[in-house]
Amino acid sequence: MRAYLEFAKRSFQNNLVYRLDYIAGVLNAIVMIFVNISIWKAVNEDGDSIESIQLQILVTYIVLSFLMQLIYTMDEYIVENKVRSGTISMDLLKPINFRLYLFSMHLGTLAFRIIMQFIPAFIVSAYIFRILPVFSLQMFFYFLLSAIMGYLILYNLNYIVWMSTFWFYWSFSLVTIKDALIMVLSGALVPLWFMPTWLTDIIAFTPFGYIFSTPILIYLGMMPESDIFDNLTRQFVWIVILFLVGKGLWLMAKNKLVIQGG
Amino acid sequence: MTLKRYSLLDLTKIFIQYSKLNLKSMLEYKLDRSLLAFAIFCREMVAVVVIILILSRFLHIRGWDLNEMLFLYSFLFLSYSLFVFLFSGIRDFDQMVYSGGLDRFLTRPIGIMFQIVASRVDYPATLGHGLVGVILFLKTSAAVGIEWTFQNVVYYIIALVSGSLIQAALFMFSACASFWAFKTENLRNLVFFNARRIAGYPITFYPAMIQKLLIFIVPFTFVNYFPTLFFLRKEESAMFWEGYIYLTPVVAIVLLAAVYQLWRFGMRNYSSTGNEAG
Repeated sequence: MRAYLEFAKRSFQNNLVYRLDYIAGVLNAIVMIFVNISIWKAVNEDGDSIESIQLQILVTYIVLSFLMQLIYTMDEYIVENKVRSGTISMDLLKPINFRLYLFSMHLGTLAFRIIMQFIPAFIVSAYIFRILPVFSLQMFFYFLLSAIMGYLILYNLNYIVWMSTFWFYWSFSLVTIKDALIMVLSGALVPLWFMPTWLTDIIAFTPFGYIFSTPILIYLGMMPESDIFDNLTRQFVWIVILFLVGKGLWLMAKNKLVIQGG
Repeated sequence: MTLKRYSLLDLTKIFIQYSKLNLKSMLEYKLDRSLLAFAIFCREMVAVVVIILILSRFLHIRGWDLNEMLFLYSFLFLSYSLFVFLFSGIRDFDQMVYSGGLDRFLTRPIGIMFQIVASRVDYPATLGHGLVGVILFLKTSAAVGIEWTFQNVVYYIIALVSGSLIQAALFMFSACASFWAFKTENLRNLVFFNARRIAGYPITFYPAMIQKLLIFIVPFTFVNYFPTLFFLRKEESAMFWEGYIYLTPVVAIVLLAAVYQLWRFGMRNYSSTGNEAG
């Protein structure tokens, strides 16, 4: 356990080195929030299509969504770099669990992003865009729980794509396609309630809606209390399913690697 | 390093030779490169899908309907596609300096700029962006009611070429910084791609300060917004000086002239970073 904490700390410190990158990340998020809010405000001025309280809800939704996207950003090419450079064989020789090692590195990055990116970006955007406070204290705890599970869903989904690197060598294309799918289908850019029903019916069968949309709806108090437990359970089920698929792929990948003989 | 010894015909021949080599190296990895082009297509389609989702719900925003919004966006994709087709070398110039690849060009008896431009073509990005642009153009150009008179066709082609030249000039500014060992890649991406994102929507959606920024500092409005106003003649045209809609080629030429001076100055001061690694 100690070793993994150490890995997380290392990855936290590694992130500190790339100062310009993390300032760029914060600025990017703020610009994106600004652009999206400008669009929704323009929609709002076009007659009475959205009432002002709805605009405030939308603004809060956009801010939360982009801040969550910011801190959920992961280094997608750790596995690829290890496979391509061959250092993965060294990692496998060490008496550590490779998957836990990978996860702890990402947790270190997550901690970095929360402290160094989320907090400043949140203060700035809360001040500029005047977001709504969380619906209630109880909802805040549900929100935290749901946001953590949202992260785990995204992590395990990403992990499946990372495993593809054992078969395809380059994973940039698959990562990019996956990101595009998530951007559209998770409601990260356009809230699911604005989407046509045929599309939301499809999304309901995928894990995408449970990454950003579920926690934000809970934060806004837009999910009836009776539905919350149900949604949290679904999030948990998706984590288990994606985890098992990822684990299966990892076992196959490891065998494949042995066949190659290093 | 005299360009004069080569006639235009020679240069064209060399250019074609370079393009052939590029195409060959791409076809070597057919599946991989096609997947890459498809991935870029998907990534760029996200913004388009967002517009479709919003507009299929609200029908119009500030007097802009779906087709008009997508027509506005199509300029960005088509001009960027043209830019990466012609000027990938300028886009990747920073790396060329850092890896020392530029030194190889310096030893050859032909213009440096010519080599930089001719030696690289990013086909996957050209195809990915181009495909989105072509689809949007075909879908919307008739629907927004443009008559393709001779005048309009000429304007359109000039606007598109100038648009890609403006983007090339913006990239060249950041490329010049690498002569003095400033790494501006992150800063450039931040400025360039965020400006491009903002320009995806009519600039009247934004506060006056942002509008000025996109007209005078990072002039993306001349890539897509003002050319679109030329064709659509929206009411909001009255908010801007009417000359703007004819200014796109002028902006391109002025920017290129300015950046070319900086470039020549940088080239004279260039000292290599050392050996090419890998």
